Amino acid sequence: MKNKLMHLSNETMNVGFVKKVEALSGSSVRRCFQCGKCSAGCPMSTFMEHPPNRIVRLLQLGQGQRVLAGRSIWYCASCETCTTRCPNKVDLAAIMDALRKLSWDADGPSKESYVQLANRLFIENIRTYGRQYELRLGAIFNMKSGQFLKDLMLGPKLISKGKLKMFHSKNRNIGEIEGIFKRIEEMRKKGEAL
Amino acid sequence: MSRIGVFVCHCGENISRTVDVERVAKAAGEIPGVAFSCDYKYMCSDPGQSLLKKAVAEHKLDGVLVAACSPRMHEKTFRKATESAGLNPYLCEMANIREHCSWVHEDREKATEKATDIVKLMVERVRKGKSLAPITVPVTKRALVIGGGIAGIQAALDIADAGHRVVLVERDPSIGGHMAQLSETFPTLDCSQCIMTPKMVDVANHPNITLYTYAEIEKVDGYIGNFQVTVKHKARSVDQSKCTGCGVCMTKCPKKKIPNEFDQGHGMRPAIYVPFPQAVPNTPVIDRENCTMFQSGKCGVCAKVCGPGAVDYEQQDSFTVEDVGAIVVATGFKLYTIDRKPDDSPIQGYGEFGYGTIPDVIDGLTFERLASASGPTGGKILRPSDGKEPKQVVFIQCVGSRAREKGISYCSKVCCMYTAKHTMLYHHKVHDGQAYVFFMDARTPGKGYDEFWRRAVEEEEAVYIRGMVSRMYQKGDKIVVMGSDIQVGVQVEIEADLVVLATAVQAQDGADLLAQKLGISYDKYNFYSEAHAKLKPVECATAGIYLAGACQGPKDIPDTVSQASAAAAKVMTLFAKDQLERDPVVAKVNEKYCVGCFACKKVCAYGAIEEKEIRDRQGNLVKKVAYVNPGVCGGCGTCQATCPSKSIELDGYTDEQIMAMIESL
Repeated sequence: MKNKLMHLSNETMNVGFVKKVEALSGSSVRRCFQCGKCSAGCPMSTFMEHPPNRIVRLLQLGQGQRVLAGRSIWYCASCETCTTRCPNKVDLAAIMDALRKLSWDADGPSKESYVQLANRLFIENIRTYGRQYELRLGAIFNMKSGQFLKDLMLGPKLISKGKLKMFHSKNRNIGEIEGIFKRIEEMRKKGEAL
Repeated sequence: MSRIGVFVCHCGENISRTVDVERVAKAAGEIPGVAFSCDYKYMCSDPGQSLLKKAVAEHKLDGVLVAACSPRMHEKTFRKATESAGLNPYLCEMANIREHCSWVHEDREKATEKATDIVKLMVERVRKGKSLAPITVPVTKRALVIGGGIAGIQAALDIADAGHRVVLVERDPSIGGHMAQLSETFPTLDCSQCIMTPKMVDVANHPNITLYTYAEIEKVDGYIGNFQVTVKHKARSVDQSKCTGCGVCMTKCPKKKIPNEFDQGHGMRPAIYVPFPQAVPNTPVIDRENCTMFQSGKCGVCAKVCGPGAVDYEQQDSFTVEDVGAIVVATGFKLYTIDRKPDDSPIQGYGEFGYGTIPDVIDGLTFERLASASGPTGGKILRPSDGKEPKQVVFIQCVGSRAREKGISYCSKVCCMYTAKHTMLYHHKVHDGQAYVFFMDARTPGKGYDEFWRRAVEEEEAVYIRGMVSRMYQKGDKIVVMGSDIQVGVQVEIEADLVVLATAVQAQDGADLLAQKLGISYDKYNFYSEAHAKLKPVECATAGIYLAGACQGPKDIPDTVSQASAAAAKVMTLFAKDQLERDPVVAKVNEKYCVGCFACKKVCAYGAIEEKEIRDRQGNLVKKVAYVNPGVCGGCGTCQATCPSKSIELDGYTDEQIMAMIESL
């Protein structure tokens, strides 16, 4: 995907997606003049196939699908070094956040991304139990991702140290937690949240 | 016994880094006839000059030698100091131990030795030097401005407003130049015509300006303050004194489909025409190559319809000689074209862009005409091939410029800004269109320039793609542009409706020939050379000739206007004096020995040598000898070297001086 020929036209440039990113992040994408300072200071830059500056560049060209197809946005640690140092006041950390939010609903390879799967299960657990149930998270993640034996040997060690509980404990006010989720869903329907 | 003072300069560290200046000063002090020697950190500074003046008085010096930089740099400075100390300024000389020694050597020991030798021989030159008096020549307080673009117009108006008479010569039928062709100007987007045409009218109406359009420079004689310039007035075929500018001839001319040069060939004009409606003067010319009357002898419609009878098919080229004291050269530029060039041409075309065969690939100036309200499309952006409104426009910067292999290595300076302007004009006129710009760098140094470019990107939605275009070709009614985005690292392909090339700025056609007539130097791109890149940016090395605008190198309008006013100020400085003082370093003939072979006359580059008759009391011709016109002599010394009887000598460089210098080593 990375090196595929890029056709540019009014049809292939998804300006609507970029507008959404800008609205969500409250930061202009066009302001960036590609100095590369964000990538220079990013602690996760070396792990990304698209370093931060290139993410912005792809957005400038209306190439949202290329951004979401990669995992870079999931490597971002939200440390905000980029935002702090940007000479053009491009809030890259907010843009990354916006991209992660948008990727939730977007069709594309990122739906299968392990990072997103982990995020999804994490949130599901919170909704069900009111707090995290790590054993279930690990087990379902391994099943859904097809890596059944991943990190299996860590299990006994964590259990023996009391870091991994065999049984879940439910939050007493689970109803209130469900209320939070419901409220967010309402807001989404009204378009107040994504 | 002479009493010479030697002053050795450190030039900060420029000289003292490689030359042991104290040792040089000490060695100089031991030369017989040197009464005083010292070294100082900055001789040219105020304390340095005071030191020189004090030494002249205290030690009763009769000659001064400053061992420092090149005389080109500070000879004037030290001669002035010497003069104010009460000595003849020409008794002060400079020994160049910077450019000729410290800058070009590394070995401290040997450099010191060489510096000492240079000082030694220059001491001999000072010893044999003579007091000279400056030569005065009268100044004709009338200026010639060549070129009627914004540079020439500005210079002419400034000089004329100062109360001096100006002759403005323009090659085309109207003044206005390239600026009149532009639609709007960066970085303020004001209409070019609106700010240009009032100035054009001012030129035509100014009582101090004589305007010659459709005229060229034929020959230039003379020297600073006293030039004689022959102007060729090309036959207009219309009598300017009779023509009222009614324009009936143009509407009645049967031949109307001639591509108009002013619209870059995209609009049409008749054979008798003014280039554009706001032309100054508003007098038409007949394009004889396209006129039926001149080609076949049958037509004569324009002469029949002309009320005042101004059309004159018999008119011939005529010549006038203009006496002027200063010349401002403002001949402007032309745009590079991508078409195929001869194989032996130093400048090459672009095969990968189709050598200019794709009709919807145009240059920036053509885009200006398309966007201009007075242009062939009335200000609508329509592509040339089918007149449709382009929805995808690709702009490509640096076409020709910065492409050493194509023959041009310089940056054309204006393209980044005008391309940004083009994207804005396009966005303002075609709201659903998209502009793309392929660029290598955006070079926007100038007041409000970078902000302007960022506005094009951030607010006017131009998509800038850092990377160049490798190829483009026609596919149906689209032009496929193959480029790359080096920031993403991918190939980019755009199917464009119109492609606009920001082609390089080149020197005007015939710039080299004009330079040869004027006797000014030019670089390998035919741009005129200034006397000093930093400190004399408007003067030519030839005295009395000044530069303005893009004839010197690519320049935008603000820079051009600034330089034109600067050139005008230089002319006014010259005209502020009634007499011009010239360096007395000129050749003199010893009439006793001269045999009148006139070998000197043949080699003189300045045309300064005349034949002089010597007669006895009865008026009989005794002999003919050479005479050097001191006002014209450039002081090059060629005649001195050529003279077989050694009867010409250059003041300040006499044989005696040169021999003494050689013997001192």
